[in-house]
Amino acid sequence: MAPVLPLVLPLQPRIRLAQGLWLLSWLLVLAGGLILLCSGHLLVQLRHLGTFLAPSCQFPALPQAALVAGAVALGTGLVGVGASRASLNAALYPPWRGVLGPMLVAGTAGGGGLLVIALGLALALPGSLDEALEEGLGTALAHYKDTEVPGHCQAKRLVDELQLRYHCCGRHGYKDWFGVQWVSSRYLDPSDQDVVDRIQSNVEGLYLTDGVPFSCCNPHSPRPCLQNRLSDSYAHPLFDPRQPNQNLWAQGCHEVLLEHLQDLAGTLGSMLAVTFLLQALVLLGLRYLQTALEGLGGVIDGEGETQGYLFAGGLKDMLKTAWLQGGVACRPAPEEAPPGEAPPKEDLSEA
Amino acid sequence: MALLKVKFDQKKRVKLAQGLWLMNWFSVLAGIIIFSLGLFLKIELRKRSDVMNNSESHFVPNSLIGMGVLSCVFNSLAGKICYDALDPAKYARWKPWLKPYLAICVLFNIVLFLVALCCFLLRGSLENTLGQGLKNGMKYYRDTDTPGRCFMKKTIDMLQIEFKCCGNNGFRDWFEIQWISNRYLDFSSKEVKDRIKSNVDGRYLVDGVPFSCCNPSSPRPCIQYQITNNSAHYSYDHQTEELNLWVRGCRAALLSYYSSLMNSMGVVTLLVWLFEVTITIGLRYLQTSLDRVSNPEEPESESEGWLLEKSVPETWKAFLESVKKLGKGNQVEAEGADTGQGPEAG
Repeated sequence: MAPVLPLVLPLQPRIRLAQGLWLLSWLLVLAGGLILLCSGHLLVQLRHLGTFLAPSCQFPALPQAALVAGAVALGTGLVGVGASRASLNAALYPPWRGVLGPMLVAGTAGGGGLLVIALGLALALPGSLDEALEEGLGTALAHYKDTEVPGHCQAKRLVDELQLRYHCCGRHGYKDWFGVQWVSSRYLDPSDQDVVDRIQSNVEGLYLTDGVPFSCCNPHSPRPCLQNRLSDSYAHPLFDPRQPNQNLWAQGCHEVLLEHLQDLAGTLGSMLAVTFLLQALVLLGLRYLQTALEGLGGVIDGEGETQGYLFAGGLKDMLKTAWLQGGVACRPAPEEAPPGEAPPKEDLSEA
Repeated sequence: MALLKVKFDQKKRVKLAQGLWLMNWFSVLAGIIIFSLGLFLKIELRKRSDVMNNSESHFVPNSLIGMGVLSCVFNSLAGKICYDALDPAKYARWKPWLKPYLAICVLFNIVLFLVALCCFLLRGSLENTLGQGLKNGMKYYRDTDTPGRCFMKKTIDMLQIEFKCCGNNGFRDWFEIQWISNRYLDFSSKEVKDRIKSNVDGRYLVDGVPFSCCNPSSPRPCIQYQITNNSAHYSYDHQTEELNLWVRGCRAALLSYYSSLMNSMGVVTLLVWLFEVTITIGLRYLQTSLDRVSNPEEPESESEGWLLEKSVPETWKAFLESVKKLGKGNQVEAEGADTGQGPEAG
């Protein structure tokens, strides 16, 4: 049974391996911590922007998965730090001998699996943001006027604060406000002829104006904000046609939010990729260190050369051993079958 | 009678030195924190210097920055001294410097305490500069064409949006100044001509406010113009309407922001001051106990440490006498030199 990917490790390279592993483990701890911070930040942002994403959107799963993956990476890093430190000190190593094996399995399966899942989510989910934002923003704009309807009374404040903070207006532009009634009917004078005309002029009986809320106003404009009668070019004479129209925010909130969330998801994804690489290196290094020290019987300072390897036998042999050991455990009348790699072949031939 | 005498054996001395070494390194960290707090306050004051007439006093952040740097320097030095204190050979090098160093430490602690007090007390000057600065800022709101003032509109708008405030003391301040530039007024309109003629200075005054005064929590779309005219808007009473515009004045809003900043910085500085006083006291005990040991040349013996060799009034008397002696000493030397030269000449 040839060990898989053996590596001869005399004393000096073993020490170098342990030291390098210590450094990599601290880097892994740092990366795990950064992922925790970044996904926490994304979760807080999503809490504020939750009203503008459709309820069916799966995007919040990404920071949640990244949070767990980051925590596991942090734990793996700390284990690596402890184990590499212990492998340089004969007094500290014995307690690690027993736990290192199961920890490596847990780290590879759990940590690696979680990171792969989180990476997959980071690649797949931002695509669904477009539709979710479209639906969410449309609903929010439609409910802007419902400041007295329970369940939607916060929509006006949230949309105003969104437009003020992210410097955007409407979904794709300020003209979106022309298509929704954003003035509550409670503040419309039923005796005013203009109001009656506007309501009767469309099928749904909505009061539509060519005006926008105050939160669309751009403070960089040199003139006081023009909010009403925006389609009438004679209502507000342009005093300097050469100057660009900075009156309202030019961008739509859909584009701004999409870019913002996709940037955050992209950053998180790249950090997850780097952490995956670091974790793989740390786990590999730990495995080689563990097998090399097992070869010496757990004696750290042994001057002998040992081999570090990934697996004791080839993959086929490993599976066979595992299957046969499982079979031995299930057999009702166990023969004296010594556990080990050589005898299973004889068992097979007997059976 | 020594003040607060404590007996120290070798183990206790070692423990004291090690504890002080650790505390000194924590104190270096605290010094860095104070430095960054001072820097943060300086940046915040600079950010809003436009509405403070560029005449705000930077005394508090500058002194915090200075104290932070000094604290780092002194405490790293003290850490080195504590580290060397365990080795009699190395400690002998430091011995002559320790007394003046401790005197400087006491001075530093006094100044740190004063700086912490300043954080709490220097709010009044800020209020005046803010009031003046905001008044001027609102005056220049409409000068978006004048170079040097064209940014004032943007600054005031973003200030009112960020701090949720309107005007200097309230939204009525906007009624008293012309905040709409003449460039955007239609002088052929009768309404404009009437308004301009209605006041002595020929200004276009309206009972309206800029859009940045609007409160997003209001249930109705923002009413910016004709605020005091109830009949201009349906179902509107300006006396009872509270949610339409921000009620707070920007002076009060900015003052409360900077006050809370400076208060929290003052609290942190006081905590650091307490820590520093503890370190100075510990260093004094270490110095006195090690001094008593070095005389009999037996490093393992017990010794006593104290804060002051005699009680406080006696120490003060001794200090005054030594100052007098210094003065007399100069006189005696001068006379001696004269009499010495006298017989030689004579």
